[in-house]
Amino acid sequence: MNSPVTSIKLVLLGEAAVGKSSIVLRFVSNDFSENKEPTIGAAFLTQRVNMGDHTIKFEIWDTAGQERFASLAPMYYRNAQAALVVYDVTKPQSFIKARHWVKELHEQASKDIVIALVGNKLDMIEAGAERKVAREEAENLAQEENLLFFETSAKTGDNVNEVFLGIGQKIPLKTAQNQAQNGGRGSSGLRVNDDSRVDLRSGNQSTSAGGCNC
Amino acid sequence: MGVRPTTTTSSPTQREIYQKSNNSSPSLMGSLMKSLKSSNSTRHHHHHNQSGAEAGGDNDADQRSRSTYPLLSRSSSQNNASQYHGHGVSHIHMSPLRKSSSGSSSTTNVSTQKDRHHLKKDKYFRDLDEDWSAVIEDYNMPIPMISNGGSELKPPVNVGLRRKEGVESRSPSAGYPSLPHLNKSQSSDLKTQYEHESERELQELNSFMHRVSKFEAILQPSNGSQINLSELRRLSWNGVPMLHRPQVWRLLIGYAPANIKRQSSLLQRKRQEYRDGVALVFSKEHTRDIPTWHQIEIDIPRTNPLIPLYQFPLVQQSLQRILYLWAIRHPASGYVQGINDLVTPFYQTFLTEYLQAAQKENVSKLSPDVYLTHEQLLDVEADSFWCVAKLLEQITDNYIHGQPGILKQVKHLGQLVKRIDADLYEHFAQENVEFIQFAFRWMNCLLMREFSMDMVIRMWDTYLSETSLESSSSSVADSSGVTLSSDPSLQNSPVSTYREKSSSKTMQSKHSAVATPRQTSLSEFHVFVCAAFLVKFSDKLMNMDFQETITFLQNPPTKCWAESDIELLLSEAYIWQSLYKDATSHWR
Repeated sequence: MNSPVTSIKLVLLGEAAVGKSSIVLRFVSNDFSENKEPTIGAAFLTQRVNMGDHTIKFEIWDTAGQERFASLAPMYYRNAQAALVVYDVTKPQSFIKARHWVKELHEQASKDIVIALVGNKLDMIEAGAERKVAREEAENLAQEENLLFFETSAKTGDNVNEVFLGIGQKIPLKTAQNQAQNGGRGSSGLRVNDDSRVDLRSGNQSTSAGGCNC
Repeated sequence: MGVRPTTTTSSPTQREIYQKSNNSSPSLMGSLMKSLKSSNSTRHHHHHNQSGAEAGGDNDADQRSRSTYPLLSRSSSQNNASQYHGHGVSHIHMSPLRKSSSGSSSTTNVSTQKDRHHLKKDKYFRDLDEDWSAVIEDYNMPIPMISNGGSELKPPVNVGLRRKEGVESRSPSAGYPSLPHLNKSQSSDLKTQYEHESERELQELNSFMHRVSKFEAILQPSNGSQINLSELRRLSWNGVPMLHRPQVWRLLIGYAPANIKRQSSLLQRKRQEYRDGVALVFSKEHTRDIPTWHQIEIDIPRTNPLIPLYQFPLVQQSLQRILYLWAIRHPASGYVQGINDLVTPFYQTFLTEYLQAAQKENVSKLSPDVYLTHEQLLDVEADSFWCVAKLLEQITDNYIHGQPGILKQVKHLGQLVKRIDADLYEHFAQENVEFIQFAFRWMNCLLMREFSMDMVIRMWDTYLSETSLESSSSSVADSSGVTLSSDPSLQNSPVSTYREKSSSKTMQSKHSAVATPRQTSLSEFHVFVCAAFLVKFSDKLMNMDFQETITFLQNPPTKCWAESDIELLLSEAYIWQSLYKDATSHWR
């Protein structure tokens, strides 16, 4: 099947250690590791998803969470069509940070950007940890700010794919394509997916280290 | 064969290159030791003309220049290059030679513009050929090369070596077991390959021993009590034997004083000062900086998650104390992710000091409480603290607000690649690949995420030899306003006197841009290492689009790099630095 491919440039933002990289790892490789090294700068990954007769290719910039790296974030969200703002449902501080990111995105990012608010580490509550961010509170924020809202567990995989599917559905495919063509050559360097180019990579390949030929 | 290298030392720059690119003994020995243990027989053996197999390894200059022949001649005589593929030591990829290096891949889409580029480059290197002509024909000289043949010989060699390391000899004059000399090898025709290989091993062992004794000689100066630091730096640049590494690193970074009479009292004082600092910062009088503490706390289990050593709670608590104390004492920077990585080579190295020689390589697996008392562990912790503090002094700008040091380095990397590999630079521009997208981490973590811990530690032998003694004054300023004042008694020590002198000198040179011969700067050298690292993959990268490029550079195929690969990288960086010194003098 030679379905049309639409690229969606997506950026992840959120406090350190809320599970941004783990969400991406789950989505891209269906994998999880308990202690991942902190992301420095940003990591780039891709994944393709079939939606109806369309293929969406997510081009994901997974940014570093620590405050000191925050000045790099605009470079990554400037031309993004979608953003995941992630917090940890057991860490109230991370929800405050999430509010800040939503505000900054509304002020600085593209006007049409689709934002999903994502409360991660749901598994910890199921395992007995105390929930510190009420679902209603997050839902209210999502409603006020016109955000998609999900609670996920990157560890169990719960609801992770739904986040990306939700974003895929929210972005009109044509718009996504146009935006990609208009904005792709911008200074952020986020690359346009050129439909005429045959892409040999599957999403999963993008995370694997590949063998070492020595 | 074999124009003798009489002319090769004609210019000081060349000699410097030779010295720096001498990657023979320690590393080879490290590899040899590994190869002795592993039965990895798939490695290529070296089948070069053995007629020149050397008698002993005691002519250092001779040895040095020989070991660099492949490196230098590779860059000048392209035709022979393929011979060396498969051998780490001589496996060089300088990008101007992309056309010639290993590549069916690279030349498929040659454009006329590209050809012009290469012509220019060829011409450039032809000029160099004249200078280096003396070494070209020595191409087939035997190179100390890793080889694992001669298995029958392994046990005795192994035992002898271990015993030697185990002694940790205090007397430099004790001498080393005199190994069989190899000067009977002239009749090489009659020798079997096995014999050649075992000779080679002995040769390597000899040169390793020679090297060890050179370290001993420097570390225990026979006349006077002053360790010659510049000599130590020169020697350490090419790798430090594991046995000496803790002591040497403390000296190189400027933590231990060069005056050996003062060493133990100063270390004792600094270790006590660390204990006092920890006691104060974790006492009730000190209000915990919660965000900093929290950030460190969540990063500790994520530090080297694949190395068993860093999973022991004892070790994690150690690192947490080091990082928290450092962060509190350096509020301008505070704790930044990546600094946690930078502590670990020190910590691991200082642990080895307490391990039996045979156990040193297991440091990454053993729980320290098996072989350390609590007090000893605190000493290791203290040394790691002071050393990482010294290291961070040199790269403070990397971690303060906005991280200007990193941004500057990334910019310099771009400028440098534009000059040394214009094709790649152009290709990146076309694909919208920006240097910051992949090089930020290279700068923030000093390439630690790119290599295995053992390789990082070897790399740091060189890096610490590149550290300058200039920036200590800024750290005093940084920490003066904080809970702990720096030890006043230290101000009078020879170290600080020396440092004050050197720092005022360099402050001067910073302002007036005085060109000094090879002023070391870790940040600057690191940019050259990054450039050498990048252009190493130039052939591949030229055929990649944006996504492939970023994905590749995020996860480069360096997992199984050996010491020889690291040393080649460092040598290449050094050569680039020598070639582009003028072009980059404005960086400072």
